[in-house]
Amino acid sequence: MNKGIIEISPGFEDVMPREYIDLVNDGPYGRKLGIDDLGTFKEAIEEHPLCAGCALALALRLVLASLPAIEDTIIVGSTGCSSLAFSQVAIHNIHSLFGNQNAVATGLKRALQIRFPNKTKDVVVMAGDGAIGDIGLETVMHSWFRGENITTIMFDNEIYANTGGQESCMSPKRAVLYMAPTGKKFPKAAMPEVAHAAGCAYAATITPASPKRLGKIVNQAILIAREIGSTYIQIYCPCPTNFKFKPSESLKMAKDRVKDETYLIKEYFSPEAREFVEGLEKGGGN
Amino acid sequence: MNRVNYQVMPGPECYLPPAAASMGVVLPDEGRALVEGHIVTQEEAMSTIAEKLLGAKHPTFFPGPLILWAWSEKAVEKARAIKEMADAVGAKIIPMPDYRPKYPMIDPEEEINPNHPNLTIWHNKIDVCVFAGVHCHYANIALKIIRGGTDCYTIALCGEYGHEDAMITLRDVRAQDIKRLTEVIKKKQAYSIETSLMNV
Amino acid sequence: MMAKKTVEQKIVDPEYLFFEAKREKQFITGSEAVREAVKRANVDMAIAYPITPQSESMHLVGDIYAEGYIKDYFRGESEFAVMSSVAGAAMGGVRVFTATAGPGTLRAFEMFPTWAGARLPIVCDFFCRGVNSPLTIQPDTIEIGFMLDTKMMIFHAETAQDLFDMTLQSFIIAEQPDVHLPIGVFADGFFVTHTREIVEIPPDDIKLPPYDPYKSPVPAMDMETPPIRQMRDPFVMKSNFISYASHASWQQEILAAAERARKHIHKYLGGLIETENEGADILIMASGTAVSQAHEAIWQANQEGIEVGLIKFKVIRPFPTEEIKMIAKGARAIIVPEFNISGWLAKEIRSVIEDNSKVVGAPRVYGGMAMPPELIVEEIRRVAR
Repeated sequence: MNKGIIEISPGFEDVMPREYIDLVNDGPYGRKLGIDDLGTFKEAIEEHPLCAGCALALALRLVLASLPAIEDTIIVGSTGCSSLAFSQVAIHNIHSLFGNQNAVATGLKRALQIRFPNKTKDVVVMAGDGAIGDIGLETVMHSWFRGENITTIMFDNEIYANTGGQESCMSPKRAVLYMAPTGKKFPKAAMPEVAHAAGCAYAATITPASPKRLGKIVNQAILIAREIGSTYIQIYCPCPTNFKFKPSESLKMAKDRVKDETYLIKEYFSPEAREFVEGLEKGGGN
Repeated sequence: MNRVNYQVMPGPECYLPPAAASMGVVLPDEGRALVEGHIVTQEEAMSTIAEKLLGAKHPTFFPGPLILWAWSEKAVEKARAIKEMADAVGAKIIPMPDYRPKYPMIDPEEEINPNHPNLTIWHNKIDVCVFAGVHCHYANIALKIIRGGTDCYTIALCGEYGHEDAMITLRDVRAQDIKRLTEVIKKKQAYSIETSLMNV
Repeated sequence: MMAKKTVEQKIVDPEYLFFEAKREKQFITGSEAVREAVKRANVDMAIAYPITPQSESMHLVGDIYAEGYIKDYFRGESEFAVMSSVAGAAMGGVRVFTATAGPGTLRAFEMFPTWAGARLPIVCDFFCRGVNSPLTIQPDTIEIGFMLDTKMMIFHAETAQDLFDMTLQSFIIAEQPDVHLPIGVFADGFFVTHTREIVEIPPDDIKLPPYDPYKSPVPAMDMETPPIRQMRDPFVMKSNFISYASHASWQQEILAAAERARKHIHKYLGGLIETENEGADILIMASGTAVSQAHEAIWQANQEGIEVGLIKFKVIRPFPTEEIKMIAKGARAIIVPEFNISGWLAKEIRSVIEDNSKVVGAPRVYGGMAMPPELIVEEIRRVAR
């Protein structure tokens, strides 16, 4: 990143609103911060319009704090709850359409490789289960087949939350939802396995109830994407608004689902990615 | 609306004013400027800008991201020049740090947003404003909304080809052009002080 | 991934490349003319997806990628994905090219207003073909009718020469900071893509200047351009008048940008229309290969002593409203031959002229049928009576 884009031009320091002064003086750019540093710096997300108790909002906050180089990261999102928060995120991000995120990310990543051959620009897709598992699956899987150097992060709330609570391929079997009035007829789609089989160098699931592990997964997924190829992370983000539980119980829900094994924590490495991560660990990380 | 006689003037124009380009107003060629939809010389435009700003009750500058952020030497040089010009006029500076829609969370006292610039203009009773360092797309959107709902006189100092949705626009504006404009303002100020003294 | 080879080409002024460089005659197909245009256009990235009759042109673009004229090229997974990937690349600040046809255009349709709304200066060639059902691969210009309200600019080539010039010049018109909109260059499938004609082209050791993302009216998504807090494009969808007015103003700005293009179109294409004998009582107004058929029909009518003028539309969006309004005033009848069933060009002309009863929306052929000039001559005779 050109550091000047987060410095205020002389003469205008006094007129800039507080939130920008904070971003300049105390923002995350170029500082190698992580989950452990949350609460000690000005984060890249400002106030957002997501619901109380939204686990997606927490997951997004944790993901943003875990990016290995936020100052050179560009996010590609898609339509859904998460996209409502992205206009408040203080890094470049794209919303194009519903379900085309991985195709957009493919073009963007390649364009940035052309323009900045000597810099690393991380392109990270962040979208919901509808965008990734349903309407955008074609562009998602083909970006994996091609081995594009991008990380795809699914905020899996197991429902079309933004449109009012319809079934997605990631909803649990038998869940009674809009457009599944007699209960969902097929099990939750096996996206981590799909990712692995489609050639992702790394695929993992996690919940925001394990923030440190989430941070580590995000960090290594992006580093693997830089060096080896596509990576996939699926974050379970319980939705109190549509699944009708108390907003204060979102993290409990995440923990319970992991504990009773109705949400499976998984991790797949390609041999190359395994070797790469072991090298990172020996070398003391990035 | 009558396309032939369309004039770019302060509003409030109507519920949804048209884009001036769609009403036949054409941007100036290199070396020229636009005042209220008419092509004039740069000098004429600068002189009118000076008059408008010096005659204003609440002149305000809206610097945009391209000069608020120190991302290049040219940006910094331009920022300094704009600050000097605003100081010469005695104008207030209200920044447009980025383009994300903020309504209803906006504080119109301290910032302006291209998606709802009218809020800042109404709140601060701004009668003449200057846009500088705003990406052209967002500048045009904002200028049109201002014309639609406020009586503010808009001036756009554009680094590219200009803005027909502003009442006055200069094009290809570099730091030295802003400095030249500041000189015009200072000369007019001195002249008006002189004449007012003579009248005493 | 990125091509290893690169070809040395001298960067020249667009005006030199378009108008001054010595041109050589080549006997080539429309698809080959596309290759020659892209070769000189300093394109960073091209993305392809097969569909008849477009495929050959993007094979040839692939060949020049392999030769080192383009930095990146790949086959996407569908037209929707390809149009999305070129959007991502354009937001990243590079010059991109792609092409499609008929059903591919419809498959990708959601992206076209999105390109325009996002101010992406993408150049896309469309090789007009009929749409299902039933399936056809034959020439038919119905897709232009669908594209009219996408806010993209629309050019319609008559010949391989037009296709070469319009494709090459489109990059410079599309990328003007006051325009910065996508351009679709349309040519009739097979009639133009697969037939050989003489095309005059400048040498291939010169090319256009590169695209400059820092002159864009919207910031490139590269984390190098302020503001850092930037979504392309920010949602304007809260339920209140403030948000609606903002979205409305945004849409108007897109149309305004196309209006600003008129000046640049005049400079580079020489105008939105071309006219021959525009003062005649009877006029033919046409675009694409219908113009060639009209030429032949006018020659035949002249043999019978009937004088007919011809207006060739080179540009459909922005529409040459004022030009057509003016020319139509003096005409008694305006014959509009078209290669589609909807008659979109006749509708467009009727919507802007004062007395629209002058417009004869005929002859019309579709589904791949040829248009014998005699059909047009019949219409000429009918109105001449």
